[in-house]
Amino acid sequence: MMISARAVLSRSAPLLACLGLLGVWQVAALAHNTDSFPTAWEAILTIPSIVGDKESLVNILASLRRMAIGFGIGVLLAVPLGLMMGRSRAVASFVNPLLMIIYPVPKAALMPIIMLWLGVGDVAKILVIFLGVSLPVIYHSFQGAKAVEEKMLWSAAAMGLSATQRMFRIALPAALPEIFTGCRTGLVLALITMITSEMIARQSGAGNILFNALDLGEYGTVYAMIIIVGALGIGLDIAFESLRRKLVKWSEPGFDIPVDFA
Amino acid sequence: MTSRAVIADILLGIVPIALLIALWAALVSFGYAPAALLPPPGHVFKRLIQQLLSGSYEQEIAATLFRLFAGFSIAVVLGVCVGLAAAASPALNAVVRPLVRVLAPLPKVALYPALLLLVGFGHESKILLVAADALFPILLSTYYGASMVEQKLIWSAMAAGTPRRQILFKVVLPAAAPSILTGCRISLVISCIVVFLAEMITSTDGLGHVLVTAARTFQAVDMFVPLITISLLGLILNGLLEGLRAYLLRGFPEV
Repeated sequence: MMISARAVLSRSAPLLACLGLLGVWQVAALAHNTDSFPTAWEAILTIPSIVGDKESLVNILASLRRMAIGFGIGVLLAVPLGLMMGRSRAVASFVNPLLMIIYPVPKAALMPIIMLWLGVGDVAKILVIFLGVSLPVIYHSFQGAKAVEEKMLWSAAAMGLSATQRMFRIALPAALPEIFTGCRTGLVLALITMITSEMIARQSGAGNILFNALDLGEYGTVYAMIIIVGALGIGLDIAFESLRRKLVKWSEPGFDIPVDFA
Repeated sequence: MTSRAVIADILLGIVPIALLIALWAALVSFGYAPAALLPPPGHVFKRLIQQLLSGSYEQEIAATLFRLFAGFSIAVVLGVCVGLAAAASPALNAVVRPLVRVLAPLPKVALYPALLLLVGFGHESKILLVAADALFPILLSTYYGASMVEQKLIWSAMAAGTPRRQILFKVVLPAAAPSILTGCRISLVISCIVVFLAEMITSTDGLGHVLVTAARTFQAVDMFVPLITISLLGLILNGLLEGLRAYLLRGFPEV
């Protein structure tokens, strides 16, 4: 089977974009030529020494583990809440104002306060990541459950399904594509919250390596860590997107990149 | 919705907030949490009002707001221009799309150390970080909004004699306005969050710096005050944007 040149081009476009960005960086650094702005190639060459160093690797993996736990708990609690908000107006008007107040509060900024209460251990960091993940997942599950066609629910009720059964067998599958969009945003936010909270708490983890290197003036390490974190973000997103395509094949989202990434 | 249902909704919405504050007060007054770790809500709100009336705190708020608006404005101008251009030209779209696909999920906060090294520790690095984070929701919502404009609208405008280059501003931009404003609302909240975090990581002024200073001296009351302030700022700015939206979209269906 022949694959058209166009298809190859469109599939490799993100890769080309990465190479293009690295190329622009390389040229800018060569033109700039200062210590604090190494070229892309120098930064890439520093990556093996970070990943090869046992302590940094353990730190980064511990960060990722906390991120996965925070993300998991966030999704498990946020999806049911969002679904209930979408199906019951009372629940929605009960919870919405509280969420509106919490929304503009930077979750990673709670780190110093939470550290006062829970210490500097894993629990504080996981809690902050959980808070960061929850809001977009709640919001998207809410939107998804709200948009379920009433007729389907009526037919299910007429066929004798109870309210709980309707929730699991009609509302949940119907809202699934939207829930996945929320999870995709939540996953990126989990990574962001993880890095930011580590930058603020400065105890351990990937964010700490990044800022320690900045303080010590190890510019190569700073830029190499930026590449590692950036690659994690892009890689996690691409992996999640392909998982979503497999699980909810029947629904193609109108937008291929969620608007509320940040 | 009748006005009675609206009032019922508002009352219902106040309940969890009141419960949260009541739980907070109960935890302190029954001695489950020492006041050094969790100050009573009365103290925090009193301190908030006291701070809001003091000139030095107002300067911190002004510094934060300046960075927030500067970054947000850059994001709006750049996002709307690039979004419209990508929707209008297939060639540009082929370049912008993969770039956005890669840059949108990139944790922008990781770029902050690089920004510090490149443009220094002043306003610029924080403004650029806010702009980078606020850009993508606006860019994407502009692009999606502009690509979904009904072709019939464009044909009608052309049939009525609108020059090609004016169609972008007379047809596409107004038709995409609701979507663009939604993107702006998301970006505004993100801007609030990012400016605060950037100030926490390195700064000598601003609300984030107030929190970090309080954290270093273990002043729990002063740690709550900037957090409540940024939440209030977010609510006020969101309300202002809602007002602007209602004004700009008057006459649009289902606003």
